[in-house]
Amino acid sequence: MDIDDILAEVDSHAIPHETQDLQELTRAWVTERSAPELLPWPDALMERTLERIRRQVRHPPPLAPSPLADTEPLSIKIELVEEQTGNTDPKANFRLIIIQTELERFKYLVRSFLRARIAKIDAHALHHLTDPTAKARLSPSELQYATAHTALLHAHYHSSFLSQFPASLRRMDDTAGGISMVEGPDVDKAVFVRALRDVDEPVYVDGTDTAFEMRRGDVVVVRWSAVRGIVMAGDAELI
Amino acid sequence: MALPLPPGLTPAETAFLCEMEMVTVIPRQRLEGLELLGGPIPPLNPPYRTPLPLWLALLLKRQRRANILPPPWLSPPSLHSILDFEKSTPSFSPPPPLPPYATTSPPFLPSATANAPPDALPYHWLELGEMLLEAANDDIPEPDNVRRLMRDLREVRMAKMRAGVGVLEGGREVNMNGVGGMEVAEGRAFIGGVVDGLRKIGASKELSRREREAEERENGIGGGEEDEDDMDI
Repeated sequence: MDIDDILAEVDSHAIPHETQDLQELTRAWVTERSAPELLPWPDALMERTLERIRRQVRHPPPLAPSPLADTEPLSIKIELVEEQTGNTDPKANFRLIIIQTELERFKYLVRSFLRARIAKIDAHALHHLTDPTAKARLSPSELQYATAHTALLHAHYHSSFLSQFPASLRRMDDTAGGISMVEGPDVDKAVFVRALRDVDEPVYVDGTDTAFEMRRGDVVVVRWSAVRGIVMAGDAELI
Repeated sequence: MALPLPPGLTPAETAFLCEMEMVTVIPRQRLEGLELLGGPIPPLNPPYRTPLPLWLALLLKRQRRANILPPPWLSPPSLHSILDFEKSTPSFSPPPPLPPYATTSPPFLPSATANAPPDALPYHWLELGEMLLEAANDDIPEPDNVRRLMRDLREVRMAKMRAGVGVLEGGREVNMNGVGGMEVAEGRAFIGGVVDGLRKIGASKELSRREREAEERENGIGGGEEDEDDMDI
């Protein structure tokens, strides 16, 4: 660990945990929205975020002159405040609006993140169930969803047309002739990357003569497979 | 249930991201500090300047509870000098300098507060400028001039984006330092499409090269010969 790392640590300690988590979640969302393949499930981060949202919904920060008990859900409070508009303290009312607005922004972020993941799982369901690395990136509930969804789809295909085929042609994951039927995402798709740190090793693009260096703040358009390792190590982000 | 959008942030999502930028606010009313999900909000005491995320600043501004102090670069003299610079080079003007010891990136850099550098356009310059011009017109000095200069800047930079298409290639990286968030959102489909298309055209060449290299590695020959292999199409 050199002096830069120590300073970086001191620096990041100055930022509250909540803000750090917001930054991480935002980065995870942008990266997931931009990357052509599914990324590892950020387990600890999602747990903390969901727990915080749950807490905020159940126990919003105490409102100074509120006549209501703190244990009541925010939604009830909001309804009550809405009913009493005009005769409650307008300040407490406005604080609730801020809390609610922020909560909605957070929920949107989480929702969009999960939906982007589901879209990728749907597009290549069998790939995510058969390929071990891809499978390891699913969260438990995503795995359950993918399994159930594929089973339903299989049953439906089978009852509607696959049963009419000769038995040897009924498989959905055939690898006959050296070509697998299971399609994965196109990992060579072009992405916009921004370096977060100086990358020491030059980045090579497989199968070409291209090698380039990335300095902090650089923005390049390059195929995803060339920068996948750097992005997953946290040295760069997609934009 | 699955998101029906193509990969990459849409302009609306980029605007959402931009609303997390910090701006400087001069409150007109007191407001106690709040514990929000994304960290604490400091108490507002007029007339002390306070940094707040843009979404909250806009909320306060629309209710006339605060004034927004526009970032220094959003002023006619700054925009003028940046515009002159943009006209003089084929690349984008350099982004504001980054803090040395951290990996934070936009929208979490202090590039839109009152202390932001006046001579560089931050990543979210277009979205931020538009939003402030729309909601906080009266807080910006010479808003009409600012609007005109923003439009000029946008045109100059868009022309550069279009001119940059000529250097796109399937296998190479394309440097786009200084590009803005909204510009990425607008150009992504086209630039990504061209790069992907060229890559597919060159795919067989690449594949044979990869096979040859693998063969050479197996035979123990140091692959030094690079004949007939340039990627230009």
